[in-house]
This record gives sequence, structure tokens and C-alpha cells, in this order.
Amino acid sequence: MIRSHCILRTERRGIHVDQSDLLCKKGCGYYGNAAWQGLCSKCWREEYQRVRQKQIQDDWALAEKLQREEEAAYASSHGVQTQSTTPPQPGHTSLGPFSKFEEKKTNEKTRKVTTVKKFFSPSSRTASKKETQEGKTSPSISRHASFDTDQVSKDFVEFLKNLQKPGREIHKQCRAFLVNMSSKKDLGADELSECVQDFYQNLADRQMTHFKGSSESVEQVMDQVEKYIMTRLYKSVFCPETTDDERKDLATQNRIRALHWVTIQMLCVSMDEEIPEVSENVVKAITDIIEMDSKRVPRDKLACITRCSKHIFSAIRITKNEPASADDFLPALIYIVLKANPPRLQSNIQYITRFCNPSRLMTGEDGYYFTNLCCAAAFIEKLDAQSLNLSPEEFERYMSGQASPRCSSAEGEWPHTGQGAGVAATNPVLAQLNHNLEQLSSISSRQEKVMEAAQSLQADLLSWTESVQREVNDILEKYPLTCTVSAIDANNIDNDNLPPPLTPQVFAG
Amino acid sequence: MTAMRVDVKVVMLGKESVGKTSLVERYVHHRFLVGPYQNTIGAAFVAKPIQVGEKVITLGIWDTAGSERYEAMSRIYYRGARAAIVCYDLTDSSSFQRARFWVKELQNCEEHCKIYLCGTKNDLIQEDRSLRKIDYHDAQDFAEEIGAQHFETSSKTGNNVDELFQKVAEDYNSTAFQYMTGKTKLAWLRLLQAACHIFTDSPGS
Repeated sequence: MIRSHCILRTERRGIHVDQSDLLCKKGCGYYGNAAWQGLCSKCWREEYQRVRQKQIQDDWALAEKLQREEEAAYASSHGVQTQSTTPPQPGHTSLGPFSKFEEKKTNEKTRKVTTVKKFFSPSSRTASKKETQEGKTSPSISRHASFDTDQVSKDFVEFLKNLQKPGREIHKQCRAFLVNMSSKKDLGADELSECVQDFYQNLADRQMTHFKGSSESVEQVMDQVEKYIMTRLYKSVFCPETTDDERKDLATQNRIRALHWVTIQMLCVSMDEEIPEVSENVVKAITDIIEMDSKRVPRDKLACITRCSKHIFSAIRITKNEPASADDFLPALIYIVLKANPPRLQSNIQYITRFCNPSRLMTGEDGYYFTNLCCAAAFIEKLDAQSLNLSPEEFERYMSGQASPRCSSAEGEWPHTGQGAGVAATNPVLAQLNHNLEQLSSISSRQEKVMEAAQSLQADLLSWTESVQREVNDILEKYPLTCTVSAIDANNIDNDNLPPPLTPQVFAG
Repeated sequence: MTAMRVDVKVVMLGKESVGKTSLVERYVHHRFLVGPYQNTIGAAFVAKPIQVGEKVITLGIWDTAGSERYEAMSRIYYRGARAAIVCYDLTDSSSFQRARFWVKELQNCEEHCKIYLCGTKNDLIQEDRSLRKIDYHDAQDFAEEIGAQHFETSSKTGNNVDELFQKVAEDYNSTAFQYMTGKTKLAWLRLLQAACHIFTDSPGS
């Protein structure tokens, strides 16, 4: 106790001595804080504001530069005939800013890497400290996102260049629309959706009537327009605060978690996951449906759903050896959704319905799979005992976690061989586990036998030595070792008058 | 992604195992499902171009899950469909009751959707007349009552199958210009959103 007091005191003294180091680095006289890079709260706030202001200005400058570039691209694409012979562009060389742009991009990348590293650093406290020291990690992430959008804008400009006059017109309209949309941020999700859909419709109609585009080329253009517009709008219109999408997402997520016990048999899914090729397809389908959340363009999200569905079809076809019908497909998709628990499922469904080009959603293949996903989500929401062919009591017990269908069939008996089949069918991993357990138990029983035999051998050996010992003793007792000298010898013990022993004689001749 | 442009959405409705998939399979691939087929991965969605006079119309044929457990969801399926082929098994009277159910649903929710009543497995009837459970005239009367076309088909022999889909395409072609202007597309979208809301409004427990 006394010693610890001493230590405390010396420490205190130490702090007292270094007090000047703890004052605000700006020299305002207040105490600083390591978390604020040695500044006091007031100075830190000023400093932080300054850095942020600079960041915002940088962002603005970048945005303006990009816009200039886009316009320049137009000017050059249309002034090519007259100006192509004069290499130095009047405004600025296009190479200069671009290389800077590249440089910034790589900076951005390294910064992102450090941010990611931070999440994995051993102590969360140091991580948060570092983050506050830099004070701009979150802006850096959002800026990274804006670089993606820049790339999309560039691609869009590239694409429209090939279209000559209509291209310029489309670009102008898209820009005007985006500006218009940015002033409408407070509108509800449905109104926003209506704006976007009206815009798609008008733009497509205009192309049809004014530029006499074929329906295929119009579709192509509309795909690009959708990509450009929705990448720009994504942040403000995906899962907006004006809706309760987020609440629904959480509800669905929890619902799927609560339904973790639903087995493939209950849904009557015709996929046999014990076939390696099938389980491979199942894993791919799960990956695809999870990936959907990472895409920004509605059409890319749809593509994820379509890929997922194709994998499900493959899995069913391999299992059943015939093409899958909707009666096979929908339950399988429900099963995949339950297994994957895709992030923000409701938000994604809503986002796609609100902002996807309707001609895709309505009739095409993507639309079909998307509709199935909507059905799967609705089914999961409404799922009850009847839809799984269970009694209400059973359903309640599973929901409350009192019983689990996977274990109840083999509860407490799983190391034995008989019950293996019921469990094995649910999951290849479980089947493998079961198999291993069986082997282990047979090995252990064999080992027991070996041990028994060894022990009996040991006992045998012990008893054998004992019995030998006993026998020897018995014999020894029976015939005690007595040294009796024979009578003849005894009589002649000291008889010296015997004739001397014969000595060899040599006879010559 | 080579998604084919599709002009019209056709949904297949009907009880499980009445032969919706076989009907589509017969029409699109001219074959009857016996034994393994390796070259198609699924028959749930098919896009099929079809010649109508001078024009080519692409039907997008949507197979639906017929099981009763998905009945509540069937509304999401036929949203926006311009034609519905409601199938029933000629040898199964319960399947005709289910067909009546879907007809009612369609009439209530999808007024622009044209209904085609289709009795399947006609080949079984041809072999043994006593198997017929749904009288031709009863079905015909019902079809007239609801303003629907009526077909009896066999996916095994291909009887009447092409005629059914040809009729669907022709009917679409003759009425195509009345609908599907931009605003109806939008209206349809509103409906889809409303449908989604129906199912997502009540959060799970």
C-alpha cells in the first residue's frame, strides 16, 4: 500500500514537472489535449474548421475543374474539324490537371488504406485517437466516393461523344436535371422517384421523336443515362431519411435472424447440398445477393439478382436433372435469402422500384427475377406455421428458441450411427462432422478393446510370473538344496594310503 | 448481359403440377419434358419472339409458383401483365376451382390483362374419355362469362399449344397502341410500389 502511494506521488510530481508540455501549443495559456494534437478545445475547433473549410474548397475546385473538363471535351469533340491542327489548347493543357488528378487519386487510395488499417489496429482507443488526430477520415471516404462518380461522368461523356448532336443535348438535359434535383432534396421518396421516372420518360420520348432513334439505341442511351444520374443521386436518394426504409431493413434483418431454424426441407427446396457442385452454386448465389447492396446503379443491382438466380437454377438443374420451374425456383430463392440475410434488403428493393428504368422492370428477364425477390421478401415477412407445414405450437417453439428442428431429431444421440441421416441431409458440413464422429466413436471403442486386451495380457503376465515363482518355490521347498557328500568320498576323505596316481611314461622304441 | 427486349408480359397461372412449365417448354422448345435436359437452365422465364403479320413481337413468359403457400404473393407476379394464361388440369376438378380463384383475382386487380383459360393434358382425355373431370362446355361457358379465350391443349402432343400463344401475340398486337404510352408505364410503376408497400408496411415481429 505504502509503495503504491509513493509511486502515485512520484507520478504526480512528474506530471507537475512537465506541465508546460501540456499547455495548448498555440500558447493561449489553456491546457491542451493529446487527442486534439496538443491544442486546447477552442484552438482545436478553429484549426479543425480551417482544415475542413480547405477541404470543402478543394472539393469545389475539383468539381469545377471536372465540369470544365467535360465542357472542354465537348468543345474539342465538336471543334475537332477546325481546331485539331492547333495542338496547344487555349485554356489549359489537358494533361496537366489530369496528372494532378491521378496523383490525388493515388493519395486518396493510400489514405483509404490507412483508414482500413485503423479499423484493424489492436486497440480501438488508439484507433479513435488517430482518427481524431487526422480529423478528416470521414470526408476522405466521401471524397473517394466522389472519385467513383467522376469516373462515371467521364465514361458518360465518352459515350455521348459518339452520338454527336443528340449526345450534347442529352448531356445538357442530364446536367440541368441534376441541378434541379439538388434543390429538391427535401421532397419525399415517392416524389423524387416520380421526378426521375418523368425524366427518363421524357428523355426517351424525345430521342424517339426528335432524333428518330431505334428502340434499341434509345434503350442503350437510357442505360447510360440511368448509370450517370443514379450514381450522382445515389447518396441522397438511397434509403432517404424521409422514409422508414431503414426501420424496415432492421425489421427484415431481425426477422430473418429469428428464422434461422428454417430448414431446406420445410421450404420443399429441391437442392441437394451434399452434391459439391450444388453447394458451390448455393455459395455463389449467396455471394451475389449480398453483393447487390454494394452497387449504386439500379441496373447493376438487378444484374446481381439475375446472377444469383442463374446460380440457383444451376443448382436445381444439377439436383433434379431437369430445368427448374417457378415451383422450384421461388422456394430456393427464399432459402437463399434466409441464408444470406442480404444487407438493407428493403432499401434495395425500394430503391430499384423507385429509380430503375421501368421498361426493364416490367417485362424483361431481370424484371422476372426481381419480382421473385420481392415475393421472397414478402413471403419471409408473412411466414407462419402454415407456410412451412408446421403446427402452430411447433412454430412457436422454434421461434422462441425452445426447440431446434435440426437437433431435436438427433438430440443427445448424435455420436451414434443410427440418427446420422436426418442431420446429414441438412448440411454437408454437418454430414462430414457426423461421419467423423462415427469414425471417432468406432476408433475409441476399438481402443477400449485393445486396452482391455492389453490389461488382461498384463494380468496374465503377472500371474504367469507369480505362478512360475510359486512353482519354483514349491519345488525348492519339496527338494531343499542340501549338500550331501557321497558315502564313498566321505569314507575316503583323509585316506592317504591310496596308490599314487598313474603318471604317463614314455617308452622309447 | 444479353437481356432480350421484351414487348409483352405473359404470366402463367395455375395450380401446382397442372403443367404450366410443360406448356411453356413445349411451345418454346417443341418438346415434352421426359428425361433430363442439359441445355436449358430454367424454364421459369422465357423470352420468345413471334411473327404476327409483318411484325415480330417478343413475349416474355413468366412462370409462377402455383403452390397455395405462395398465393398471397401471386399479385406481385401478375402486376403489369398484358396476358394471363390460367391453366387447369382437365383430369382434376380442384384445379379448375383454383383457376376460378385466379380469374377473380385478375379481374379485380389487373383490368388490362387479357385472360386465356387453358385446360391441359388433353392427350390423357383422348386416350381415356372417362378421365375427363371438367366438361368442355362448362369451361367454355365460364370463359364466355368472363370474356376470356378458351383452349384445351396437350403439351405431350403439342395439340393447340402454338395456337394459344399465337392468339396471345395477335391480341396484343391489335390492342398494343391503345396502352403502354409513357404514362401507363408510370402508372404501372406506382401500382408496383403500392404492392410492395402492402407487404412491407407491417414489420415482422
